Amino acid sequence: MRGVAIIGCGMTKFGRLEGKDLMDLLAEASLRAIDDAGAGERDFDSVYVGNMMAGELVHQTTIASALVDRINLIPAAAERVENGPASGASAVKNGFLAVASGASDLVLVAGGEKMTAADTDVIGDLVSTMTHPTAEYAHGVTLPAMAAMLTRLYMERYGVTERHLAMVAVKNHANALKNPYAHLQRKCTIEGAMSSIMIADPLRLYYCCPISDGAAALVLCPAEKAKEFSGEPVRIAGFGHATDTHAVQEREDPAVLKSVQLASQHAFKLAKLEPKDIDVVELHDAFEILEIAQSEDAGFFPKGEGHLAVEKGITTLEGELPINPSGGLKARGHPVGATGVAQIVELVWHLRGEAGERQVKDAKRAFACNFGGFGNNTVIHILERMG
Amino acid sequence: MQGKMTGFKCKSCGRVMYPRHERCLGCKGTDFEEVELAKEGILLTYTKLYALPEGIEMPPLVLGIVDFGGVRALGQLTTDDVKVGMKLRPIWGKLRKLGGREIYGFRFEPAEKS
Ligand SMILES: [Zn+2]
Repeated sequence: MRGVAIIGCGMTKFGRLEGKDLMDLLAEASLRAIDDAGAGERDFDSVYVGNMMAGELVHQTTIASALVDRINLIPAAAERVENGPASGASAVKNGFLAVASGASDLVLVAGGEKMTAADTDVIGDLVSTMTHPTAEYAHGVTLPAMAAMLTRLYMERYGVTERHLAMVAVKNHANALKNPYAHLQRKCTIEGAMSSIMIADPLRLYYCCPISDGAAALVLCPAEKAKEFSGEPVRIAGFGHATDTHAVQEREDPAVLKSVQLASQHAFKLAKLEPKDIDVVELHDAFEILEIAQSEDAGFFPKGEGHLAVEKGITTLEGELPINPSGGLKARGHPVGATGVAQIVELVWHLRGEAGERQVKDAKRAFACNFGGFGNNTVIHILERMG
Repeated sequence: MQGKMTGFKCKSCGRVMYPRHERCLGCKGTDFEEVELAKEGILLTYTKLYALPEGIEMPPLVLGIVDFGGVRALGQLTTDDVKVGMKLRPIWGKLRKLGGREIYGFRFEPAEKS
């Protein structure tokens, strides 16, 4: 395999973006990434667009073909990549493989979702259809219900309390206040979080991510050609991708995110790195319990001790292992297909020292976890500063 | 009306699964027989859902995962007086209305009256 470099990145602001449709967002993020790479005059070989629900939410299909037309990347090979909430990272992985294999020399990866124009109940139902049709969905299961049941397992078994969930939310809101791209730009307090409305006991509103619009994009090329472009390159040191049973109840231990464990192990092996080598992390906190559980199953903390790391402040911007400096899905927002790409954009900025007020000091290596279904499909990437 | 809640037992390795798979999660075997699950199970975890899905009228919708000795099932609980570890038994009933159609399946009720 050839080494793969990220030579450009960009994203739109995340949030309720009135007046901009999905294609506007994808075009804006893509052009920013292409400009960032200084690749405006180049011909691209392939384009991967992460998106989960364009057909259902904005009544548009084949959006990768539409994007190459909008920004004239014709005749590049283009396709949409759908892998639920991990669509973004799946698109990145496909871009990585295209370059690593030698098939493509210049690749655009974009991810985007336009959600806020749709009815909240429609979105809730569409997202719920990711669950097992007969063993889960038919019974009225929603994603918050899944997360609530995982949270209760954690409370019973490991002594996680509601306060720990609130602490993660407070941290991620504080980080987002330093991120001009974040959807939720307001301070959150422990008391405020713990008095927000109950969605799925024990999950309150503030332990769940918002519904957002947004897009993010990357430009990839072979590492040996990175010097031809203007930006400071970042190497994709490894990826991992693994699945688990569709129905949560069938997992050997429903409190273990085995797809996160396996995908992380694969990524670390490919990168020839260990969890202790990582300086900054983006996790998929669609619900705050997931940041705690993923921080354990990815290998950063022993199982059942992720909440203790939160208590000790280890995962804050100033801590030993900052998690979700962007604000995470909780506060940067979660335009589903964009998320996995945006996580990597954020980490590239940290590795280049361009993350502004939220910059993690001297970050050399970074880790991203994009989590699909309710944990049945996880994509991990590990990034490394070049040179 | 359905009688007993059943799982699928792999004829090669004996593993019991719910729901059904075309190939066994243990050994990839393809032959199964339907077997009755234990009459009672233990509640492993639950939630009381207030943001309701389509076709559920009254909050909260109580959902839980019940362990029948190795094989587990997710479903609605008939009571909101719930505790992890309580004993439950399956009971056939209406789950929800979806797209104008009524969906039936097993729900779970307390095995002992408190
Ligand atoms: Zn078997």
